[in-house]
Amino acid sequence: MAEIEWPWQYSFPPFFTLQPHADTRAKQIAAWKSLVLEYYRITKQAVVDVREIHTNSLFNNTSINRKLPSEAVLVILEELGKSGNASPLDKTKQRWLVYWHTLEEWGDIIYNWAQENGFIGSVCTFFELTQGEDTSEQEFHGLDTEVLIRSLKTLEAAKKAEIISFDDNQGVKFF
Amino acid sequence: MGIFFAKKKQPSRVTEQDKAILQVKQTRDKIKQYQKKIEQSLEKERLLAKELLKNGREDRALLLLRKKKYQEQVLTRADGQLENLERMVHDLEFAQVEMKVVDGLKTGNTALKQLHALLSIDEIEKVMDETREGIEKQREIDEILTSTFAVEEEIDESEIEAELDALTEADINEKAPEIPKDVLLPDVPKELPEEEKSRTKEKIQEPIAVMA
Repeated sequence: MAEIEWPWQYSFPPFFTLQPHADTRAKQIAAWKSLVLEYYRITKQAVVDVREIHTNSLFNNTSINRKLPSEAVLVILEELGKSGNASPLDKTKQRWLVYWHTLEEWGDIIYNWAQENGFIGSVCTFFELTQGEDTSEQEFHGLDTEVLIRSLKTLEAAKKAEIISFDDNQGVKFF
Repeated sequence: MGIFFAKKKQPSRVTEQDKAILQVKQTRDKIKQYQKKIEQSLEKERLLAKELLKNGREDRALLLLRKKKYQEQVLTRADGQLENLERMVHDLEFAQVEMKVVDGLKTGNTALKQLHALLSIDEIEKVMDETREGIEKQREIDEILTSTFAVEEEIDESEIEAELDALTEADINEKAPEIPKDVLLPDVPKELPEEEKSRTKEKIQEPIAVMA
């Protein structure tokens, strides 16, 4: 897991309080959005649990003793959801999936890989895609399975792939 | 096989074979995960055995090493099974490719048959016979034309040759005295070789002119 390079805002205490002024707030949220995506990209994580955010150094800067309140985290997540970079996993919006590429982008990246490596017309397991030796150089190596399934569904909608799921077998066939 | 490919066009393009491949691949993944687990515990046990040896507990270290040895054996066995599974996946995939080949050949065959149905042997024979007749007729015409021309040409050539010989001799005789007049101006020693050259040139040029 690579170390993230924190932006200057991260050690700026007001960054951890949602700003009342509209313009400032918009800038603040935009900065948070890119920071969240960057953090999740580098740590290769996908799930945000709003109840547990303060175990995470992203929303809890111990060096300046500041935490981002969960309401603010929700606001940021909602904003990420609008740009297609996040979606709630449950109805209470406590658990969220964060994708630093949108699902369509992920779909394209995976499909391009399949095309370049001659996997069109063959079956791949999810494990093979995210953990296999063939993909260790790929950006989607280690991708969260839920994100993988969702991005494959965008490919399915475009008739470029089909998800196979029976018994406890799960895989995908590229076309 | 036909059913297999017809099925692909329909909403679900996943075949039974694909499912089988997936299942085999899934098993392969499980073995890989299992191997990872064993490898990790092997590493842990090796370190632990080292620690035990340092503390002078050789008997326990020996026990651990025995366990490690056993796990290594399991690992190699798993490797063998993994190879089998990989081969199975390749076999299945290749069988699908072969099916595609057979299907391609079938399509080609039916297309060829359809084309053959359009052509009947009798018709072809008739066409061929007619063509042969036509070619023969053409050859006859050619023969007649060439033979008449050949006779005329032979007569012509001997006459023409004789005439040309006369002409060339006259030409040379005419030109020979003229050359010295033209070449008189330059130096005297160059006279003779130039005369010869000009003559040979004329001799080469004349037959070409005749042929044309």
